[in-house]
Amino acid sequence: MHIEIDEISRLFGATAALHPVSLSVPSGALVALLGPSGSGKTTLLRILGGLEFPSSGRVLFDGQDATGLSVQERRAGFVFQSYALFRHMTVSENIAYGLKARPRATRPNPAEISRRVARLLDLIQLPDIGARYPAQLSGGQRQRVALARALAIEPRMLLLDEPFGALDAKVRKELRQGLRDIHDNTGLTTVFVTHDQEEAMELADLVVVMSMGRIEQIGRPQDIRARPATPFVRSFITA
Amino acid sequence: MGRPLIRRSAMPGLGLSMGITLTLLSLVVLLPIGALLAKGASYGAAGIWETVNRPRVWAALFLSFRLALAAALFNLVFGLVLAWVLARYRFVGRRLLDAAVDLPFALPTAVAGIALTALYAPNGAFGQVAARLGWQIAYTQWGIFIALVFVGLPFVARSVQPVIEEIDREIEEASASLGATRLHTLRRVILPILTPAALTGFALSLARGVGEYGSVIFIAGNIPRLTEIAPLLIVIQLEEFNYDAAAAIGIAMLVISLAMLLSINLIQIWSRRSLQDV
Amino acid sequence: MSDIPAFHHRSPTTEAPALQWALTGIAVLGLALLVLAPLVAVFAEALADGAGAALRSLANPDARAAIRLTLTIAAISVPLNAVFGIAAAWFITRFDFRGKALLITLIDLPFSVSPVVAGLCIVLMFGSNSLVGGWLVAQGAPVVFALPGIVLATLFVTFPFVARELIPVMIEQGRSEEEAALTLGASGWRVFRTVTLPNIRWALMYGVLLCNARAMGEFGAVAVVSGKIRGQTATMPITIEMLYQEYLSVAAFSLAVVLALLALVTLLLKAGLERRHADQLAATHRP
Repeated sequence: MHIEIDEISRLFGATAALHPVSLSVPSGALVALLGPSGSGKTTLLRILGGLEFPSSGRVLFDGQDATGLSVQERRAGFVFQSYALFRHMTVSENIAYGLKARPRATRPNPAEISRRVARLLDLIQLPDIGARYPAQLSGGQRQRVALARALAIEPRMLLLDEPFGALDAKVRKELRQGLRDIHDNTGLTTVFVTHDQEEAMELADLVVVMSMGRIEQIGRPQDIRARPATPFVRSFITA
Repeated sequence: MGRPLIRRSAMPGLGLSMGITLTLLSLVVLLPIGALLAKGASYGAAGIWETVNRPRVWAALFLSFRLALAAALFNLVFGLVLAWVLARYRFVGRRLLDAAVDLPFALPTAVAGIALTALYAPNGAFGQVAARLGWQIAYTQWGIFIALVFVGLPFVARSVQPVIEEIDREIEEASASLGATRLHTLRRVILPILTPAALTGFALSLARGVGEYGSVIFIAGNIPRLTEIAPLLIVIQLEEFNYDAAAAIGIAMLVISLAMLLSINLIQIWSRRSLQDV
Repeated sequence: MSDIPAFHHRSPTTEAPALQWALTGIAVLGLALLVLAPLVAVFAEALADGAGAALRSLANPDARAAIRLTLTIAAISVPLNAVFGIAAAWFITRFDFRGKALLITLIDLPFSVSPVVAGLCIVLMFGSNSLVGGWLVAQGAPVVFALPGIVLATLFVTFPFVARELIPVMIEQGRSEEEAALTLGASGWRVFRTVTLPNIRWALMYGVLLCNARAMGEFGAVAVVSGKIRGQTATMPITIEMLYQEYLSVAAFSLAVVLALLALVTLLLKAGLERRHADQLAATHRP
């Protein structure tokens, strides 16, 4: 799905978390929102997911105005920084949650739900952990379960907030490839937030560098590296 | 541009939760307190002062405050000992003791009142012993003191105990390694850490004591100007349908309560700040 | 006592054994005299004329009416309080708005107000010579000296219990699980039922437990609004007072035993919750 961000701004009282920003995410792209904390990247991601509301501007999905769509209607697969797994549910129950929440008319039957859960567990290469609780999983496993849970609703796009932030360096490298693979297999338009320039450069097709609520530069990783548009971008990507 | 009154959010249930909260808060708490204040306003400041400024009323307010203060001070010291023993020592019956600390919270005040009276009356189990020493407890201010100690007992202990459990043992080891005696460590290192929580518990215990009624009236004897507490005075005025006087004393007590609530909040702000400095 | 090594060196973070014994002795003796002795006295006084007399006094119609009334009041006020507590905690922890600190202070206010003053407030608001109260009496629905007034007084004194327990727990758990459920398409009710409620159930139960104990035992506020009509508006604590003042000691203490047993069951359940679900309670869990 093609995502169009049109002059979106976000004010918290007198301070602007986002100055009007515009961005076009081509269908099927893997995009990184890169910037230091406070740059507005998470706010922008949450606005895309319908968890926050812009003070002005529009969001368009495939050309349709989606600004007024509720969080449920957006059908964005959202992976939270803390993963936000339901701690009182097993892994399988977590993944099945979105399917069970559907209205009866579109809800798959229980057998179909468990088939889909099994398929997703295979996809994240953790076929045997369905009966476990989140507290019994490693950090990397939790991240993959969160991803499977987001994929279960057959989302129109994938939004990830610092998906590798809470992981140690080794696991982070493995999971980067995992996300790339899932993206390539599903073809979902994917936007992820990161403060790690190496991660953004290595993983994304398109990198959006942000600072102080503004977009500093949009470009392919090699272009940004070769021709940083502003002094901020230069210092940030060489840091 | 100012901060919006309510920030727009994707969370559901704003109207419902706000509606229930504000409706019940208004109906149960704010409007009745407003009715008291309105009654006071119609009675006028001069009328309130005239009612409160009588020896019997002053005596009752002073008695309630003085004995609540004494009981809260007792509970401050005893609560610190209790919390320390329960948090640090392991002995047979510790769990039972730990549960018993909460009994004053769980036992209805009227039950506590008649039980304490039965114990401390001149013919009661403890009263007899005291009487032999020439000490009368029930129907004197001592009796009120004991009742207020009972109802305020858990506050300091329960405020302080979790703080003791959180203390990093390395702080104590550091103090010892610097040559401090154990007593010095307790006084100079541990006590300052416990002070904010202890003061909060003290203030809560004091506030509870000033307003306490059920556990006190049985053991107090209720002799005007000697053992008559302020809340009882309100009840007496109401029984005589003297609503103006009841409202006047009620407002005086409300002012005392609000002053104490304010001080509790200030203590908490101050303690949060001083803990952040560490 | 704590681990005291057999050899002479004492751990630098413990007190001298003599001091440990002294402090423990003070704690045990103090609690025994101040707290446990009154509890024992309740049972001893009730059984002064034997168990038969105690049981007979509980079969008295007034005593039974009092028990029924107290149960009725708890059955009305505790669920209302739970609904309020959940709504207030949801509003306060799931939204950002101005005046939040003031709202929390107002919710806590009843803990700082004397129960007698609380009762007075309700009498002044709904009493027959007030504007609202007069109208209600004319409609044949008096509040003061009737069940609604007692329920209101009970609600006032127990007001903060559930909210106070839930707010810290819900702040600590954060909003992200609920947000995750929303992104997965769940409706507001579904989010509350399947995500929030399971996470707060033990804290909720804890708050309800304490609220119930207070609701059944409240004396000061109820004494002011009840009118103390035997068999009609006399709750258990009020009946205890009336019996005691009529020198019917065994009857008073027998009824007191029922409330004391309620207190003991409350403490037992509370200790159980604290031991098993300490990580999900505000009272026992500091982040």
